[in-house]
Amino acid sequence: MSSVFYEKFERHAHGEGLKGQSTHYCAGCGHGLVHKYLAEAIQELGLQDDTVMVSPVGCSVFAYYYFDTGNTQAPHGRAAAVAIGHKMANPKSTVISYQGDGDLASIGLAETVATAQLGVPVTVIFINNAIYGMTGGQMAPTTLMGQSTSTSPDGRKLINGQPIKMAELIAQLDGPVYVERVALYSAVDRKKTKKAIKKALKLQHEGRGYTFVEVLAECPTHLKMTPDKAEQWVKENMTPIFPLGVKKDVVAEPWFHLEAPGFDPGTLLQAVGASATGAERACQGFPTHLHAHDVSLKLAGAGGDGAQTAAMLIATAAINEGFDGTHIPSYGPESRGGTSYADVHVAEEEVLNPASPNPHILLAFNAPSLAKFGGTVASGGTILYDSSVAKAVKPLDSTVKTVGVPFTEIAVGLGKLVVKNIVALGALQAATGLFPKETFLAAIKQALREKANLVPLNEKAFQAGYDAARRAMAARG
Amino acid sequence: MPVTERPKPSLVPEYCKGCGRCVSVCVKGCIAFDDEINPATGVVPVVIDLEKCNGCGLCIEACPEPYGLRALDQGEDYELQDPAKLYGARLSEAPEPEDIPAQRIPLPACQPLVIKGNYAAALGALLAGCRHVYGYPITPSTEGAELMSKLLPRLDGVFLQAVSEVATVNHMYGTGGAGLPCLTFTSSPGFSLMLEGISYMAGAEVPAVFINIMRGGPGLGNIAPEQSDIKLACRGLGHGNTHAICLTPSTPQEMLDLTILAFELSFKYRHPVILLADGYLGQMTGKVQLPDHMTKPGIPKWAVYGDLAHRKNLINSIYLDEHDLERHNEYLCGKYEAMQAEARAETFLCEDAELIVVACNTPARAAKGAVQELRHQGLKAGLFRPLTVWPFPVEQLKAHLGPGRRLLVVEASAGQLEDELRLALSHAGLPVPPVAHVRRMGGMLPQQDQIVAAATAILA
Repeated sequence: MSSVFYEKFERHAHGEGLKGQSTHYCAGCGHGLVHKYLAEAIQELGLQDDTVMVSPVGCSVFAYYYFDTGNTQAPHGRAAAVAIGHKMANPKSTVISYQGDGDLASIGLAETVATAQLGVPVTVIFINNAIYGMTGGQMAPTTLMGQSTSTSPDGRKLINGQPIKMAELIAQLDGPVYVERVALYSAVDRKKTKKAIKKALKLQHEGRGYTFVEVLAECPTHLKMTPDKAEQWVKENMTPIFPLGVKKDVVAEPWFHLEAPGFDPGTLLQAVGASATGAERACQGFPTHLHAHDVSLKLAGAGGDGAQTAAMLIATAAINEGFDGTHIPSYGPESRGGTSYADVHVAEEEVLNPASPNPHILLAFNAPSLAKFGGTVASGGTILYDSSVAKAVKPLDSTVKTVGVPFTEIAVGLGKLVVKNIVALGALQAATGLFPKETFLAAIKQALREKANLVPLNEKAFQAGYDAARRAMAARG
Repeated sequence: MPVTERPKPSLVPEYCKGCGRCVSVCVKGCIAFDDEINPATGVVPVVIDLEKCNGCGLCIEACPEPYGLRALDQGEDYELQDPAKLYGARLSEAPEPEDIPAQRIPLPACQPLVIKGNYAAALGALLAGCRHVYGYPITPSTEGAELMSKLLPRLDGVFLQAVSEVATVNHMYGTGGAGLPCLTFTSSPGFSLMLEGISYMAGAEVPAVFINIMRGGPGLGNIAPEQSDIKLACRGLGHGNTHAICLTPSTPQEMLDLTILAFELSFKYRHPVILLADGYLGQMTGKVQLPDHMTKPGIPKWAVYGDLAHRKNLINSIYLDEHDLERHNEYLCGKYEAMQAEARAETFLCEDAELIVVACNTPARAAKGAVQELRHQGLKAGLFRPLTVWPFPVEQLKAHLGPGRRLLVVEASAGQLEDELRLALSHAGLPVPPVAHVRRMGGMLPQQDQIVAAATAILA
């Protein structure tokens, strides 16, 4: 008796009476044998303390009654996914996902295949007895053609699909390093089963990869046979469909290793871009000439125009100055599809309505954006647009100031189209006086912390936009 | 080894189910089926005659019962023994697990960050000690996963993109069961898929934090902001008697603060915690100040970590015996009762308010603007903003109710928040005051002017 089994099965009906030392399995059931070989393999490899057994939903749901190891009982079909959660939490642990055919090959197929392909070293023990045991003899994904079950009373037919060959399927994947199908019906096969289980655990322990052992097992109760007849049935009927043997066995170097998670505050702050020093403030006060306490902006263009980055820079500049700032991008398929809008608010105290249905300032990077949002600008507001690509639209409201600046031309002239949005910010500053120039430039520098060589170009772009807007406004009078 | 020294089998008939797998394997014919029913078990055990036994051991290997056929130790008598005395009552040699406490690590003062709500929640998780994030991409929550996939490798943490939300919640069940803080970012349809797993977590007492950036439903709906899952999170966390604390931030700063709180609460109660935000909050960039400390998590004593110290433990939600399961449910209900103390709310100008606007998430921002505007008009409005929708902060609300006081519930759903409010008032035995509402759906958010108009119609 392996010491990996509890001396008393306290969890089995509170260990009362004979249940304290006997399993809940039916007479002749294959699970008990596989439990024994698994316990012996864990013991022989010295893995008892490190082992986490993940038991499934199905007859082996109560595996945790017996194994004196860490135990988790998983939702139906998800044992392999739970196993991955355990392995990632403690990469040094040995994690065993013990599953039946309904659990592994039907409801949990996605998790089964994904875990195998992932290749992270866990061991999956798959008990294939061609029937649902716990729910009472229904058709399993591995039920044989013609086999009568309580949900295929006339025998499994083509309309029910054909039995799924899991070991072969798993062996096709890249993650597994060892896949074998074994059986329990003879002394030789039982020895092979134990050997396969031990090998699977050893390969996992060495960090070489995912291992999978499919065991053809007997369910005498639902086959309605004596155990010896059930052994014979498995041998004669199952093995032609589910041939025994090694399906995959590759020489893999140990690869799985995870460092212990880091909790160094400096590393964390650096990773998230936090710093102790902020940009210097340049604002004398809130830009009340635009709104008493909350300036609303909309930036609109095509993807790649840099509307979102410009929006982000405005929000950053606001926050650097001690105001509140928010930015909401258009997102999802809309933004992937080529148009890109951003709603920005700059508030003296707190932004309460972060959307900008009627902005005080519209920054339009192309004609469709100008057409779409030009009419939404609030009375007394300002429209800035790229006159390289859009013709001015006459706003519905005559109090709205319209300034066209050739963002694209200027950016191309500077040799970098991508600075178009910085040109636009310069123009915005000139046309609206939202913040002092220094405030914008500080926010730009902050954003380019890791690309400091780009700062001069951006400063130049900002200035060029600023100058062009001044000229445009002067020309218009 | 001489044949005579090989161990011979021994059997306590009470532990034999009579399957006979040993019978066919014995070449010496030592084991046979019998016809005498064992009175203790009601089954017919095999009988063994060891006279011809050569100790080949095949019968022992063929026996499916751990305490069935076993090898006798050298010199041990194979005569029948009293089963009650044969094996110990000891459950395990593993030690009693002990808590490894979390550590508080001070952080230097930093300038505020300007980040999206999704990023803020991600940073909150990192500061709370979470280094395990699982997820399946879904708009509008994806930036959280994207940021984690970038940051976690730098912190020797794990980001794993799961095959589905179903796999995600089960990865979390494993890592949470191992006693470590873990998180996912998801959005409404993904959250629906996680509910089975959340029910298991509630049953098995597994902590985890779910950031649900709610979007328009039902079905595929759209990706615009809605408060579509208040009902699901408060009343529908999978099968069984489940509840979980549901936090409702309304700024990027609260996305960070409440995510940190979510981890604290999930470990305090050993239970999943849900953070409900809307699509706007996930996407919105704003000012976020970092706290003055971060947390290095420990390992709780109940965890199944996969080491000697935690070998005794079990993460499990199955209780076969009805009495056991009823007791377990009563215990869980006790936890839900204790969680009532976590109800939180923020009030704004409620003291003398004749009309209390109730709103959470992004709608609460417009509601606050509306309250300010109403006050400018001389109308006595206030804002009651639940920070937890379950438990609903009914005690905090109670303080502002009274004769002549009315409620206006503002929400981006078809009354899911109002239902929580009404249910909470009812459970608290409080009369339900006149309740009006502003409801938008499908990704439309209640606007300030709409709230002002509704409030004015009531007050003026």
